[in-house]
Amino acid sequence: MVSVEHLTFSYGGPPVLSGLSLELREGAITTLLGANGCGKTTLLQLLTKNLKPNGGTIRLEGANLEDISLKEFARRAAIVHQKNTAPEDLTVERLVSYGRLPYTSMFRSRLDRENQEQVERALALTDLTELRERRVGTLSGGQRQRAFIAMALAQNTKLLFLDEPTTFLDVRYQVEILRLVERLNREQGITIVMVLHDINQALAYSDEVVGLRDGRVSLQGAPETVINTESIRELYGIELPVCHADGRLCVMAV
Amino acid sequence: MKTLHKDALKGVAGCVALAVMIFVLTLIAMKLGSISITYRELFDGLFVAYDKRVATIYDLRFPRIIVALLGGAALSCSGLLFQAVLRNPLADPGIIGISGGAALTASVVSALFPMLYFSVPLFAFLGGLAAFALIYSLAWKGSLDPVRIILVGIAVAAVFTGAGEILGGMTNRTGVSVSVSGLAQLVWSDVKMMAVYSIIGIVLALLLAPACNLLALDDKTIRGLGRQVDHLRLGISVAAVLLVSGVTAVIGVVGFLALIVPHMARRIVGSDHRILVPFCVLLGGFVLLLADTLGRCIAPPNEISASVIMSVVGGPFFIILLKRGDRHGKR
Repeated sequence: MVSVEHLTFSYGGPPVLSGLSLELREGAITTLLGANGCGKTTLLQLLTKNLKPNGGTIRLEGANLEDISLKEFARRAAIVHQKNTAPEDLTVERLVSYGRLPYTSMFRSRLDRENQEQVERALALTDLTELRERRVGTLSGGQRQRAFIAMALAQNTKLLFLDEPTTFLDVRYQVEILRLVERLNREQGITIVMVLHDINQALAYSDEVVGLRDGRVSLQGAPETVINTESIRELYGIELPVCHADGRLCVMAV
Repeated sequence: MKTLHKDALKGVAGCVALAVMIFVLTLIAMKLGSISITYRELFDGLFVAYDKRVATIYDLRFPRIIVALLGGAALSCSGLLFQAVLRNPLADPGIIGISGGAALTASVVSALFPMLYFSVPLFAFLGGLAAFALIYSLAWKGSLDPVRIILVGIAVAAVFTGAGEILGGMTNRTGVSVSVSGLAQLVWSDVKMMAVYSIIGIVLALLLAPACNLLALDDKTIRGLGRQVDHLRLGISVAAVLLVSGVTAVIGVVGFLALIVPHMARRIVGSDHRILVPFCVLLGGFVLLLADTLGRCIAPPNEISASVIMSVVGGPFFIILLKRGDRHGKR
C-alpha cells in the first residue's frame, strides 16, 4: 500500500531519518514504535505530505507521493493529528462535513446527497449520530477525538493515519478509541498506520509493529515474533521483562 | 441541522435588527448638528424644492454619515479577517501596523503627487500590503507565533507612526492626516472613493467567509483536507489589507474599532464567518456612525473625533466583554 525507499530527512541539523526503507501492508493495523526523537512523528508527517523528504521516495499504491496533489492525496489517505483545534461552537456535524472538502467546493454550504451520505456514514461509524447537533466545546475528550476521527472517515479513504490518537485521553477513552480503530480496520477494511506511546496498547491492537531507531527501521513484524526483552532494549535502551498475561504479550513498563 | 438552523436564524435576525438600528441612527444623524431642521423640511429639500439649508446638509453631513458607515463596516471586517488569518484575537490592523503603513504611503503620495488624489487608496493598499509582508516575514518562524506577531506589529506600527509624524511636521498639507481620524470636512468625492474600495473589499470578505472558517482548524488538518493553507491565507490577507487601506486613505487611522467589533460580533452570533462577516459589516458601520454622531453633539460647536470616542467608550466596554468570560465565541 505504502512503500518507502531510502528516505532521508533533516530539519536542517543532524539527519532525523537516514535511508529509511519500509513497506506498509494493506489491510493491516501497523503501529510505529520508538523512543522520543526517533523520528516516528517525522516519518508520519513525511508519509502524509506535511513534510518534504530530502531524499528517497515514498510510494502510495505505486504512485510517487510527490506527484500526487494535496487534494488527490486527501481522497486516498486521511490523517488524525494528536492535537486538534476547532471553534467551540462548531457543531459535530459541520466538523465532520469538512471531511468532504476533498470532493466538494469550499464555497458550497450545502452538501448534495452523496456527500451527505458519507457524513452520515462517518457519524454512524463513530457513534456520533446522536451527538451531531452538539457543539465541539461541549464534548468530552473521547467524544471530541471521535469527532475528528469521523471527519477523517468522511474523506472515505482506504488508508488512515493516526498520530498518537490517545495521548491526551483517560484510559477509558484510550481503549474506546483503540477499539474503534480496530473495528474500522476489521469491518471497513481501512488500512491503519498509527503512532502510539503506550507499548502494550501497540502490542494489543497492532497486526504489525515497526520499531524505529537512529532514523532507520530496526524491527518490523507481528508483535509476537519481534517483541522481546532484547528488541525492547534495542528500541528504548532499557531492560524490561516481556511476559504473557491472559494469553497476551505484555511489556512490564514499570 | 437544527442547531445549524438556529444559528443561521439568529444571525439573520441580528443582521435585520442592526439594519433597522442603522436606519434609525442615520435619520438621527441627519437631523443633528449646527443647522437645525425638521424631517419634513429635510424631505422637501431633498426631493421637492431647493432649500439652501438642506443643500448644505446634503453637502456636508451626508458624505460624513456615509463615510462613517462604510468606513466602520470596512474596518471591522478587516479586523475580523486579520483575526482569522493570524489566528489571533488581538490582531487589529491598527495595532500591528497595517494602517500605519497604509497611512504613511497615503500621506507621502498625497504630499508629493497631489494630482494622484483618486489613486491614493491604491497606494495606501500597496503600503498596507508591504507592511503586512514585512510583519509576516519578521514574525514567521516555521509557524506564526501569536505573541511574536503582535510584538513585531507594534514595533512596525511605532516606526510608521513616527515616520508619519516627521512627514506631517515637514508638510503643511491637511489632505490626509496620519494620526487623527478625519471624519470632518468630507465631500462626496471622498464617498465615491471610499465606496469603491470598501465595497470590493466587503464582497471579497463575504466570498472568503468559508476560507476563514477553515482557518479555524489547524494548518495540518487543513492540508489533510486537501487545501493549501498558504493560498487561503494570502487571499484573506489581501482582502483585509484592501479593506483597511481604502478607509485609512480617506479618514486616517481609527483605533480600536477593528479590534472590538469582531469580538462583539463573535459573542453575539458565534464563530461561523458566513454569518460573522455580514454581521460585522453592519455592526462596524453602526458603531462608527454612533461614535461620530456622539462626538458631534456632546460639546457643540466643538467636535470630539470618532477615534477618541472609540477609545474612551470602547476600552472599558472591551474589558467588560472580556471579564464576562462568555464561553460562546471563544476560539
